[in-house]
Amino acid sequence: MAKKNFTLNVNGKVRQVTAELDEPLLWVLRDNLGLTGTKFGCGSGECGACSVLIDGEVRRSCRVPVAYAALGREITTIEGLGTTGNLSPLQKAFIDHTAFCCGFCTPGMLITATALLAKNPYPSREEIITAMDNNLCRCGSYLNVIEAIEAVIKAT
Amino acid sequence: MNMTRRQFIASLGSTGLFYAFHFTSKSGAQTQSVEEPFTAMVDPGCVVSDMDIDYTDWIAFGPGDKVSVFTGRAELGQGLKTVITAIVTQGLEITRSNLAVVMGDTDLCPDDGITSGSSSTRMVGWGFWLACEKITGDVIARASQYVGIPADDLEFRRGGVGRKGETGNLVNASELGNGKTLIMTINPRTMSAGKKYTDLKIPNVNAEEIITGRLKYVGDLKKPGMLYAGWLCTPYHRTVTKLKSVDAGAALALPGVKKVETVWGRVAVLGERYSDVIKGLDLVETTWSEPNRPKEMPLEEARANAGLLAVEEQKGDINAGLSASDFTYSENYTTHYTCHCQLETDMAVAQVENGGDKAAVWVSTQHSHKAKELIADALHIPPENVRSIGMPAGGAFGGKQANPVNREAAKLSSLVGAPVKLVYSRKDQFQLRAFFKAACIIEVTSGVSANGKILARKVDSYQDVGHGTKHTYDIPHVLVKAYRDPNWPLGLASSRGTSYVQTCFATESHIDMLAHKLGIDPLEFRRKNVEFPAYVNLIDSCADMIGYGKNELEADEGIGLAIVLHGGAQLGAIAAKVAVNRNTGKITVKRLCGAFDIGTVINLNTATVGLRGGMAWGIGYALSEEIELDGHSTKTEYFSQYRIARFSDMPPIDISFHDNHQPGSPPRGCGEMPVIPTIGAIANAVYNAVGVRFYSTPITPEKIKNALGSATREAI
Ligand code: FES
Ligand code: FES
Repeated sequence: MAKKNFTLNVNGKVRQVTAELDEPLLWVLRDNLGLTGTKFGCGSGECGACSVLIDGEVRRSCRVPVAYAALGREITTIEGLGTTGNLSPLQKAFIDHTAFCCGFCTPGMLITATALLAKNPYPSREEIITAMDNNLCRCGSYLNVIEAIEAVIKAT
Repeated sequence: MNMTRRQFIASLGSTGLFYAFHFTSKSGAQTQSVEEPFTAMVDPGCVVSDMDIDYTDWIAFGPGDKVSVFTGRAELGQGLKTVITAIVTQGLEITRSNLAVVMGDTDLCPDDGITSGSSSTRMVGWGFWLACEKITGDVIARASQYVGIPADDLEFRRGGVGRKGETGNLVNASELGNGKTLIMTINPRTMSAGKKYTDLKIPNVNAEEIITGRLKYVGDLKKPGMLYAGWLCTPYHRTVTKLKSVDAGAALALPGVKKVETVWGRVAVLGERYSDVIKGLDLVETTWSEPNRPKEMPLEEARANAGLLAVEEQKGDINAGLSASDFTYSENYTTHYTCHCQLETDMAVAQVENGGDKAAVWVSTQHSHKAKELIADALHIPPENVRSIGMPAGGAFGGKQANPVNREAAKLSSLVGAPVKLVYSRKDQFQLRAFFKAACIIEVTSGVSANGKILARKVDSYQDVGHGTKHTYDIPHVLVKAYRDPNWPLGLASSRGTSYVQTCFATESHIDMLAHKLGIDPLEFRRKNVEFPAYVNLIDSCADMIGYGKNELEADEGIGLAIVLHGGAQLGAIAAKVAVNRNTGKITVKRLCGAFDIGTVINLNTATVGLRGGMAWGIGYALSEEIELDGHSTKTEYFSQYRIARFSDMPPIDISFHDNHQPGSPPRGCGEMPVIPTIGAIANAVYNAVGVRFYSTPITPEKIKNALGSATREAI
């Protein structure tokens, strides 16, 4: 398949990339744009490590072709959630509640939790679990992630 | 290649003060100090086990008030870097920003052993703790000479020395160096810390990089001209088949595919991008020889062919013990294959230069120095030409001890003459790596006296090493043997909890059954038979937290207990509460309560999340994790076919800490221990709920439905 030029809107910036039409957004983010916070855990949409927001919806970037993401859509990756000195409340809560061990699943967890709270600022524990359930953490930091999310809800 | 260790330390400043701490438990080893020129510093080469502590770590002061510590161990998510930071900043009274913790780089760090066996905190962590104490004394002595003030009037603070009663330091430790290394020998068994460590709750030191996506794992590295690589997955396990032919024409016709290499009987595709590799792999045509063994691989076959591997435990006279018993009872338990499933698959980046003579390899591994050796071996070059640089791992759990990906990446880089990033896919982790915790058969026979004392226990464990029986129950006559089929087609992995997992499931289920057969409450039966009183506290504590015996259970709910001793000195007891749905067969774990005796908890934050994570593993082992395979191949390919614990599987967890030693006793580690009794506790809770004993893990909904569908309540 021939390579094409695409314009992506990532974390509020317009970025030009050259990739094949069907190339998963994950590899374009990581290899073309150096946004390596989005992780590869399975490539089959089953672990959530590669989660990004596309127009506010959680999407598995390993399953989204770059051509789809380039249709004027807004893409947010972990790098776009907040940076040192300007962390989002969820990022801060993840630190305060030690919501990770190795941290490999964490970008995907934060992206998914961010989308959840954007839509529903006061989810019940059950709603949190439902929203987060397809994000896997082999270190088993789940309860700490829930506590971090609940801390943000409480403070809102 | 970048800086060597000497250059690195030289960069600290010309007067830097360097300490090498040799920790050894060899009998007769005295705590002592000698000064040697820096160049004489050697890696001792180490064997680290419970019985034999022998390794070296380094601490360097300078430039100015900076301090660097060096360990060859790896940050795998267990929080070692945070633990070392907590200990050294407290021990030397320095700030976090003044401390650099250098880990896992073979050019910079000593080989202080493999990061495994829940040993890092209890060895390396405690070692630094003792070392800091030795250092402060030594620095005061040096400072006293340097400033001409009696040592008694001086005190160590903030990485330097000041006069008692005054603020401000007279001298930084780094100014006291003389270009030599002070080698100190410390025997952690004979030296106890005088200074008490204050329990801390500090955030993971990598936290901010993690939550902003900036922490670099090996897969995030990119080198100029780097090619991506992937292996073609073989149709059968590699041990049972041979590559016969390769046709790479179609793959090589893709513009992004640069090379197809056949090496070690396997085929790799190398491309400009990882997606090129994936496409290329799809187009490579191969043929393989027919598998050289029968397809079916029942465990019974392994038992029939097994030979004695080890006598794991022997006490008293087992036959005499059994015949003296009033009641004897035998059962067989089995467990299934499980996989580590680190979220980060195996990956490495290799840069081989100088016509294949010099290699730098960035690794995600539990033992960088071992990786270095294996890489040198694979490239047929001397180890000193290899630098292995440990990156933070996205989980390891025993699966990255000598992970082949490191040497494979190096080999591919040397073949193609460019830097290579080799990536295992998730399917590769299951099917190509095929590195699983052993499925076991465990036969247990116990003999008990009329008054409920266990007199004899015989355990025969097939396919794993049979660890996990020692020092839990006070039994005078014991014989534990491990057997293995030497021709078994799969390598058997060590994985979080090692064989304690299988053994403890069997023995703790069996303890419960003995109690029931004798009509004694399982809690009372354990209290009566445990080897140390410390267990009684733990059992009572977790039973109390979960409401044991309070009759608050609803229909088809149950509570179960299990205990463990892991790694020589970590004690734990877990109580599980479950609910069983008779229609769907689903077991819901409603609560887990763990009481742990692990010495000083260095960092409550990392310890708690680690303990909870361990219990999550226990839930997976008990209820859902099961690799599907036969003698030819692994069928499991996706996470959807292999359920690790998820959010919806997690119950509330309560944890209590106990310390049967002096308060402030050394940390004893806790990475694996909580996994182990969770399984038995859940199985015992299921028995308590529905009156059916399950003799094999995982206890799946199908097994529950089959068991409860049949009218009898007999053991399955
Ligand atoms: S990598 Fe996309 S869901 Fe796992
Ligand atoms: S923190 Fe390691 S996978 Fe989640």
